[in-house]
Amino acid sequence: MRINTRSLTLCAVLTALALGLSTLENLFPITLVIPLPGVKLGLANIVTVFALYALGTGPAVGILLGRCLLGSIFAGNFSALLFSLLGGFSAILMMIALHHMPGLSIFGVSIGGAAAHNIGQIAAAMITLGSTAVLGYLPILLGVSLFTGALTGFVASLLFRAMRHIHFQTGDTSYG
Amino acid sequence: MKHAPLPKLRPTIWDGLVAALVLVLAVGTAVLFYGNLDHGDQLTAVITHRGETVENVVLASLQEEKIIHIDGQYHLTIALHPDGVQVTQSDCPGQDCLHTGTIRRGGQSIICLPEQVVIRLEGSGGPDLVLG
Repeated sequence: MRINTRSLTLCAVLTALALGLSTLENLFPITLVIPLPGVKLGLANIVTVFALYALGTGPAVGILLGRCLLGSIFAGNFSALLFSLLGGFSAILMMIALHHMPGLSIFGVSIGGAAAHNIGQIAAAMITLGSTAVLGYLPILLGVSLFTGALTGFVASLLFRAMRHIHFQTGDTSYG
Repeated sequence: MKHAPLPKLRPTIWDGLVAALVLVLAVGTAVLFYGNLDHGDQLTAVITHRGETVENVVLASLQEEKIIHIDGQYHLTIALHPDGVQVTQSDCPGQDCLHTGTIRRGGQSIICLPEQVVIRLEGSGGPDLVLG
C-alpha cells in the first residue's frame, strides 16, 4: 500500500482521536447507569467508521490496531488487549463487509459493527474466564448495541454532512 | 487504493433489517441461554475463581448470611443469602461486580473480569422463575 505524508498524518491524528475518545468514555462510565460490564457507547467506533469510508480499509485497520495496542499500553492492562482486539476486529470485519452493501446507510453499518464488537468481547471474556456464564450478558449487550450503534452512526453522519462544506483531501481522493 | 463511495447518511429500510437481525440474535441467545434451565433444582450459587470452583452453596440451606472472601490480585467479599447473592466489597478497578447488585434467579451471574471471578446461580429454586 502506497501511503503519502498527508494520509499518514491523517491516520496518526485519527488514532490519537480514537484514543482520546476511549479515555473520555472511561472517565464517564455508562455502567453507572446500566450496571453491566462491557456496556459502553463505543465512541472510538466513530473514528473507525469515518476512516473506513473516508480513507479505505487499510488505513482503518491500521488506525484500529494502533488504538488497541497504544490503549492497552497506556492503561497498563495487558489482559484488556485481548478484549479490545477481539472486539475491535470483529467490529471492523463486520463493517468492511456491510459498507460494500449498496442498500445500507452509515446507520446500519454502525449498528452491525457495534453488535459484532459485543460478540467479540463476549468471546474474549469466555476465553479469559474459561466459562460460558458470560453468554448470559450477550442478549442485553446486543440490545444495547442497537442504541449505541445508532448513536455512533448518527455522529458519523453529522461528520460527513459537515465535510461536504470543507475541502477534505485524503491523498489521491478529495471530497470538496 | 480504491475508496469506498461516500456513505448514505439517511437511515434506509435495509438498516432496519440489520437492526432486526441483531434483535433476533439477542432474543435467540436469550432463549438459548435462559430458556433451558433445569427446573425444580434448588437454587445453587457456584463461585469460580480463575477457572476453579471454590464454593458451591445451596441457597435454601443457608440459615443466615454467609460471607465468602476471594483473595487474589484483588479482594472481593461475597454475601450469600437464602434469596440471593451479592458482591458487597471489591477493590477491583471496574467495580462492575458491585454495580450488578443482587442476583436472585437461575441463569443470572455476577462476573468480575479483573480477578476472573464468576458467581453463577444454577437451578430454579421454585416455580416463580422469570425467563429472559
